Amino acid sequence: MAKIIIDGKEWEFEEGMNLFEACTIARGGEKLPHFCYHPGLPVAGVCRMCQVEIEGVPKLQIACNSTVRDGMVVNTRSERVENTVRQILEFHLLNHPVDCPICDQVGECALQDQYMKYGLYETDVDVGDKVMKHKAQAIGEHVMLDAERCVLCSRCVRFTEHITKTNEMGIFNRGNHSEVGVAPGLSLDNDYSMCVVDLCPVGALTSRDFRFRKRVYRLSSVDSVCPGCATGCNMRIEYADGVIYRQKPRTNLAVNEYWMCDQGRLLYKHVGGDDRLEEPFVREDGELSPVGWDHLWSALKARWEGLGESRRLVLVGSPHATLEELYGLKSLLADAAGGRVLGHRLDGTEMDRDDGFLMAADRTPNDQGARRLGYEAFTASELHDAGGEDALLVILDNDLAGLDEAAAEALGSYGAVAYLGWRENATSRVADFVLPGLSYAEKDGVFVNKDGRAQRFFKAVDGPRQAREDWRLIAELGEIFGHTPTWRAHHDLLSELSARLDAFGALAGGIGEEGTLLDGDSAAKEVERG
Amino acid sequence: MSDFPKILLDNVGVENSHTLQVYRSRGGYKSAEKTLKTMKPEEVVGVVKDSGLRGRGGAGFPTGVKWGFVPQNSGKPVYLLVNADESEPGTFKDRDILDHDPHKMIEGIIIASYAVNCHDAFIYIRGEYGWIVKRVQKAVDEAYEAGLLGKDILGTGFDLEVIVHQGAGAYICGEETGLINSLEGKKGQPRIKPPFPAVVGFLDSPTVVNNVETIASLPWILEHGADAYRGIGTEKSPGTKLFSLSGPVKRPGVYELPLGTPLRELIFGEEYGQGMLPGIELKACIPGGSSVPVLTAEETMAAKLDYESLAEMGTMLGSGGCIVIGDDASMPEVLKVLLQFYHHESCGQCTPCREGTGWLDTILERMLAGKGRPGDLDLIERVCQNMAGLTICVLSDAAVMPTRSFIAKFRDEFAALLPKDEEPEEFVPIARSAEDRS
Repeated sequence: MAKIIIDGKEWEFEEGMNLFEACTIARGGEKLPHFCYHPGLPVAGVCRMCQVEIEGVPKLQIACNSTVRDGMVVNTRSERVENTVRQILEFHLLNHPVDCPICDQVGECALQDQYMKYGLYETDVDVGDKVMKHKAQAIGEHVMLDAERCVLCSRCVRFTEHITKTNEMGIFNRGNHSEVGVAPGLSLDNDYSMCVVDLCPVGALTSRDFRFRKRVYRLSSVDSVCPGCATGCNMRIEYADGVIYRQKPRTNLAVNEYWMCDQGRLLYKHVGGDDRLEEPFVREDGELSPVGWDHLWSALKARWEGLGESRRLVLVGSPHATLEELYGLKSLLADAAGGRVLGHRLDGTEMDRDDGFLMAADRTPNDQGARRLGYEAFTASELHDAGGEDALLVILDNDLAGLDEAAAEALGSYGAVAYLGWRENATSRVADFVLPGLSYAEKDGVFVNKDGRAQRFFKAVDGPRQAREDWRLIAELGEIFGHTPTWRAHHDLLSELSARLDAFGALAGGIGEEGTLLDGDSAAKEVERG
Repeated sequence: MSDFPKILLDNVGVENSHTLQVYRSRGGYKSAEKTLKTMKPEEVVGVVKDSGLRGRGGAGFPTGVKWGFVPQNSGKPVYLLVNADESEPGTFKDRDILDHDPHKMIEGIIIASYAVNCHDAFIYIRGEYGWIVKRVQKAVDEAYEAGLLGKDILGTGFDLEVIVHQGAGAYICGEETGLINSLEGKKGQPRIKPPFPAVVGFLDSPTVVNNVETIASLPWILEHGADAYRGIGTEKSPGTKLFSLSGPVKRPGVYELPLGTPLRELIFGEEYGQGMLPGIELKACIPGGSSVPVLTAEETMAAKLDYESLAEMGTMLGSGGCIVIGDDASMPEVLKVLLQFYHHESCGQCTPCREGTGWLDTILERMLAGKGRPGDLDLIERVCQNMAGLTICVLSDAAVMPTRSFIAKFRDEFAALLPKDEEPEEFVPIARSAEDRS
């Protein structure tokens, strides 16, 4: 450990630690002014904003390329430092168009934010014509570039060079004609292209999906976890007035670091999609008709009772359902009501390529949670064999018919099918009862990722008026089968399952910000990851 | 001033001095042979340290000390990169060696490589020196054929490959880490330090970057010894140095002088510049390449050409590119040429340099176009202040040093471009105009 003094106060840090990070801690979380430094990228040291005074060193030094050494005395707030930052910021603005009123970055612009603090306000800048650069270039499917707003921090270039290793971007020309862009003949179309929008400290790189849709300072944000695959990238859902506008990665060094894929980022479009199940449906005279909840429950009860003395309940979970829902389904409808759990997913479905970075082969978010609750994969023939005219099949958010033709046929062998889910699909279309639930963005829950890490996500927006929280639907179903759940509120589910099941004992103390690893195997992996 | 041995230009002027045959006939490669056969690498480093040879590219850092930074047994190869990218305005000294005596440099490369345990050396030649690239390549080929390069040089078991590389014509590639990036095929931009090239340089391996003139001094030093070299020049600036003299002098060109020689000797000496062209008086002189502070005529007459004396006068020996400025030249116009150069050559990485070089150029352009404003000189000073010492490399400082010194020493000429202090135009409120109308 090294003892160092920052702004008059003594601190102990690891010798060799990045000085920028040490200063952030010493300044109570307030980062030094900067554009180019990013903890997930190699140091470029080009914006020259994070200048600090180090005793015994005549020149100011940039903190991002300095390391903590024992005995160091650092000053981050001296007049000399602040004056220099002010002047360097003026250089940044020299050829910047200052078109804030029409720029989408307003509200989350490092240039704007830092000018509020380090602005010269009275400036001598008068260079006549600014250097003209290319504007409004669609450099990829998801990203728009305005080179004039760019401060040439090179974060985007370093991202494509060191993180995706796709090298689409570069800085072309020299001096004050330097201009960021994509290499001739290429476009920015890697699976992580929108990360450059997050990285861009100014309005140079903007999301084609989000731009001009909402001022960012009107957005609220909630912590969430991407439901797109088994990696479980941490993210924020940003919304306003009940509408989701974008999803952004949330830093979790143990999972996704600072990044997420474009596909996951755009999943929010399904939440307000045209295929939402917005009302309960009951099949009457062969047609699915929208009905009220009361009607659905009584029709379902009648149907259940009509299946005769030998009536059976067969349950299918889902790797898309939350841990709480899967527990509710199992504990209430199987353990208490005597239903038979077939499993949580059709064997071999919803698998794709593992890209070696964040996109996992398993494209479901909670396979590990389901398996730890005892769910297993099943085949279409098992689905068929469990059927019968006396069987009611309850499917929790799982498009069996869409995933496998044989499974679609197998559904026909059941006396009745009830589908709980939030999107219309091949399965909901053949069900006899459709119970509209909520999407990941409309409820709280826990997913367990591929490494056995339990992670919480929270509600951002309300679902369709007639949709209900899935766990409540499961509770209602219990009542139909004559069993009242032991849990009355959503959080009861998590406390009950962590108290009752050894596999989830680790969750008893709550789930940490970085998630909580459920078992030893993964804990070992954690150590390996460093 | 003719009583010193010529170390660098001894062969220049001899017919076909660039050929191996002539070079050898004048004793060439004997020093390298002696070094390889009789000395240990660390002894070579010792001799060079003792000789006090300082880097001739501009910074003047002791060469032996620089070599000493190369870690031994790093498990990686050591590279020697010869910096032949001289492209600063007023600097054209290496050209004489490259053009007329390339074998002297090659011999120096053998010695330096042996000293730092390098087996792959590169000669990075300025892009605009097209014909020189061919000449140097030919010399390298000759050396290979004669067994002076390649495997088992002169039967000593020492291997050395030399590759000639032509740059693409960017000033910044003469900065050693910019050169390394360029040689690696990357954009020619200086690298952030630390790490320093001696430890992590070309291809992430220990790397020594030496100037052509530095390398070309080695054969003489190894042949005659450190003491002989120290016998020339001054105590802290031993040896001879090349000076490229340009401007309105009778005999511009490249001259070799012992360090410590008066600057007036270079400009006015019979064997050197022979004084100003008829009708032109000396007004100023930039002694060390365009990046160093300018000297007034008076200072020029008093200056001595060594690292310490010039530093005392607030300027630098730099590369030895001596630009003489006559009284027929306008200092703002001269400065404009320099600023245009730095504006054009800034790599654009660091904000203060990228924006500052362009800003200075723009302000001066405006002033020269008769659109100067009263506060312009203060503005230039403020811009300079914020460009100096705040960037990865010193290109930013290189633009600031001439700018500040030009304005400090020739302020009148710059002030003349600004409007005289006039009464500000009277502000006429609209109300009064309305009264007038009524």
